[in-house]
Amino acid sequence: MSDVGLTHYLLLGAVLFVCGAVCMATKRNAIGILMGVELVLNGASINFVAFAHFNRAFEMEGQVFALFVIVLAAAEAAVALAIVLNFYNNHATVDVDTAEELKG
Amino acid sequence: MTEFFADPLKFYQLHPGWLFVTATLLPLLSFVLIFLASGAWALLRRYRDDHVGIEQLYHLFGGDKGGRLAAYIATAAIGLSFVLSLTGFILFNFVDGDKEQKRDAQEAKIRETRELLVLVSGLDKELEKSLHDEEAELTAIDARWAGRFDWLRIAPAITNDPQRGTALQLGFRIDSLAAIMFVMVTFIATLIHIFSIGYMSDELPETVEDHQVHGEHGHLHRRGRFGRFFMYLSLFCFSMLNLVLADNLFQVFVSWELVGLCSYLLIGFYYERRIAANAANKAFIVNRVGDAGFIIGLLILWTYVGTFNFEDLFRQIRAPVRVSSQIPWIDGGGTLLGGQVVRSTAEPSSGRIKIAGPDQPVSADTQAVLFPRDPKTELYGISGEMGVHWGVVDKGTQLLVSTNPDPEQFGVMPYWMLVLAGLGIFLGCAGKSAQFPLQVWLPDAMEGPTPVSALIHAATMVAAGVYLVGRVYPLFTPEVLLVIAYVGGITLFVAATIAVVMTDIKKVLAYSTISQLGYLMLAMGVGGWTASLFHLITHAFFKALLFLCSGAVIYNCHHEQDMTKMGGLFPKMKITALAMLAGVLAISGVPGFSGWYSKDAILAQAFGFVWVHPGHILLFLLPLVTAGITTFYMFRMWFLTFAGKPRDAHVYEHAHEAPWVMTVPLIVLAVFSVCVAWGRQPWNPEESFLAENISESQPASVIADFGRVETDPLWKGGRLKDETHSERYLAQENHALAGNLALGVVALGLVFAALLYYYRVLDSEESKEQFATLHGFLWNKWYFDELYSAIAVRPALTVAHWFKWFDLTVIDGIIHFVAFATVRVSKWDGLFDHHIIDGLVNVMGGAVSRVGNGLRGVETGSLRNYVLFLVLAAVGIFLVLTWWVAMVMAG
Repeated sequence: MSDVGLTHYLLLGAVLFVCGAVCMATKRNAIGILMGVELVLNGASINFVAFAHFNRAFEMEGQVFALFVIVLAAAEAAVALAIVLNFYNNHATVDVDTAEELKG
Repeated sequence: MTEFFADPLKFYQLHPGWLFVTATLLPLLSFVLIFLASGAWALLRRYRDDHVGIEQLYHLFGGDKGGRLAAYIATAAIGLSFVLSLTGFILFNFVDGDKEQKRDAQEAKIRETRELLVLVSGLDKELEKSLHDEEAELTAIDARWAGRFDWLRIAPAITNDPQRGTALQLGFRIDSLAAIMFVMVTFIATLIHIFSIGYMSDELPETVEDHQVHGEHGHLHRRGRFGRFFMYLSLFCFSMLNLVLADNLFQVFVSWELVGLCSYLLIGFYYERRIAANAANKAFIVNRVGDAGFIIGLLILWTYVGTFNFEDLFRQIRAPVRVSSQIPWIDGGGTLLGGQVVRSTAEPSSGRIKIAGPDQPVSADTQAVLFPRDPKTELYGISGEMGVHWGVVDKGTQLLVSTNPDPEQFGVMPYWMLVLAGLGIFLGCAGKSAQFPLQVWLPDAMEGPTPVSALIHAATMVAAGVYLVGRVYPLFTPEVLLVIAYVGGITLFVAATIAVVMTDIKKVLAYSTISQLGYLMLAMGVGGWTASLFHLITHAFFKALLFLCSGAVIYNCHHEQDMTKMGGLFPKMKITALAMLAGVLAISGVPGFSGWYSKDAILAQAFGFVWVHPGHILLFLLPLVTAGITTFYMFRMWFLTFAGKPRDAHVYEHAHEAPWVMTVPLIVLAVFSVCVAWGRQPWNPEESFLAENISESQPASVIADFGRVETDPLWKGGRLKDETHSERYLAQENHALAGNLALGVVALGLVFAALLYYYRVLDSEESKEQFATLHGFLWNKWYFDELYSAIAVRPALTVAHWFKWFDLTVIDGIIHFVAFATVRVSKWDGLFDHHIIDGLVNVMGGAVSRVGNGLRGVETGSLRNYVLFLVLAAVGIFLVLTWWVAMVMAG
């Protein structure tokens, strides 16, 4: 076993991203989808932090981006949960398949 | 203006000429008032039912019936004009009356002094001062009776010629002729206004039935036109007075056209009658022919002389009057040229004006000398010896004798242009005064109401032509004057012969008018300036009388105008008959009546002219013979109307005397027809206050062209013509002879008329059949109408038909073809648009629509699908990027 290097972090990030994406694509529950979004965002954050650690050129940028993503994720979760709550109020469900009034 | 409002009386004392201006403007004011009032009336009429107040106002303006207000306004205006004119006339003749004598005395003094000058060659300062003062005084008197101001300024032409006209002016200048004309016109117009109040009362009711117009539903019913008639009369009076007042040709022309317009409106007063409408058109169009000549004359004068002002024109065209032949410094004296048109054969630019003698023939390059309008130096003498010598005397003390004139001050114009200008202006006068060959409109003009006939034929329109000839007399060269004389001679004879056979009472008077106007023109042409205008005034009185009498007869016989249906009316309308008899005697020239004095003067002048020019003997024979014919047809008219037995019981039954508004003007006019020409000795035809007064404004050119008479006040020294062989001198000498000859002819005419129509010794019907050809010829008015129809009307119609054909086939054809072609091309264009352009757009639209429809399915509305697409897209992009990076790495 070699040392844990950049590749491992990137693989972890990719696995997390794919997990998140699959979660978003398969879940009908809005809360589940939000969780998938969190996974995707965290996958991306791991990539940023990993690059910041292993590449001196991105030392600051990687960290800052990761922080931004965390803040953004928090804000996004708040807004999305508010939408979900409203959706629930209107439709008495959180099944996103019922949200199809705007389809072409 | 402020001067006027501060103290009108004082204003008129200082500027008495404005009395005449006011007299001119009053009828205009009346016209405007009636016009506005009738406009207000028509407006109120429309809304009278909407509001009580409006209805009351409407009734204030006369209500449905109109009322006589217009008549009172117009009559008051013209009456006031008459009073003002009379005041002005009296002031002119008795307050400033010695003006002419003063001028003569002063001129004589100037000349004496000047002649003395030559010897002493130095001018007494005191004498100079006194001369100067007298001149200033005369100028001040002139200023009282004249005035002018620029009306329209014209941008100066690109020329250095200071004589070039730069403004059209309005102005007035009163001389004794204008003053007399003013009194005559306003007086007769006032009487005609009063007469019309009675005559036109048929027009008062709300609806008038016109028996002469047949519509679909019987006779025509229309609203009465009482007010309109007086409105037109007012405008007519204003135009005529303005014409008399004017001091320039342009103002005359404006009034001239206004008079034409009014006559058109009045002749066509009953315009529903086709015949009246046609007569109005005919009068207007025939006058237009004359006016074309007038305009040509105006243009020539404006181009060459550069002014329309009478005084300025005459000063330039005629040599100054104050020229003496007794100029000691010119060898052998010289030809005296004062008052003449001076012909020259060389341009002044050559430094010489070579004056042509009176016997030198006129050729195409003969020039007429134009004299300085405002000479810096006084022209003193002209001699025709060996080139030219001009004696020029400075206005100051210095005496200058130059052999050549200052070319700057002189101009020339082609002599034939001057002749053409004269002929043009005369053509205008011939149109207005109904002279051959433009006489055809006047008899037709009888379709207007009778007072209008009187106004047109006596006081205004037809007199305007002769008046203008008299006004612009100095513009006429001897050639033009000869044409005028012959035109007058032909006219007076032709019209008189036609009058002999007419049976319509007004037509007889119409032809008589034309004939008398012929006399006036003939008199003008042979140098009888005073005689002509004298006869113009007397004729105005007796012709107005005759027309108003005929109007009274017509009115009281229920608009019957055919004399063959009258007869024996004397006991029924004595006043009218006697008044008319006075008119008939006056026009015949029976001694003591006004026509005698003036007609004798004309005949004497013609006699004098023929004596000097025996080749033109017709110019005496025609008026002499026509004097007899005149008497014949006038008595024929009177006998047919009033004497004998009634020929139509119906007319006779209805006939009655006219109301007083109509008879009073008749009586007044009759009195004036008898005695207007009387002088100190009424039995002496050469004595007449009127003629003396008129002769005061006689232009100097009359003396220059036709010689002087013994009592001429204007002429001072010099011999222009052989004195005892000049036209005017011989006329004076043979006045009695000519008068007695005329009297004999008149008696003959009277005897014939009495034999035929009173005693019935000869049957008029029988003689009519005997001379059927001649009668037919005269009855058809010498076939003038047919002639004009053949040479003017029909060709015009033919040409019009050609143009119609051209219009219909060629022009319309082209238009139709163009239209057709356009439609065709449009159709093709439409097809192209529809299929190609629209097709292309539709194909694109359709494609877009189809793509959109296809893509609709993608938008499922399912969030998970969208995420799937997102992921797939991300993976796709990732793969493409990877491939691209790999390519870059490899490449």
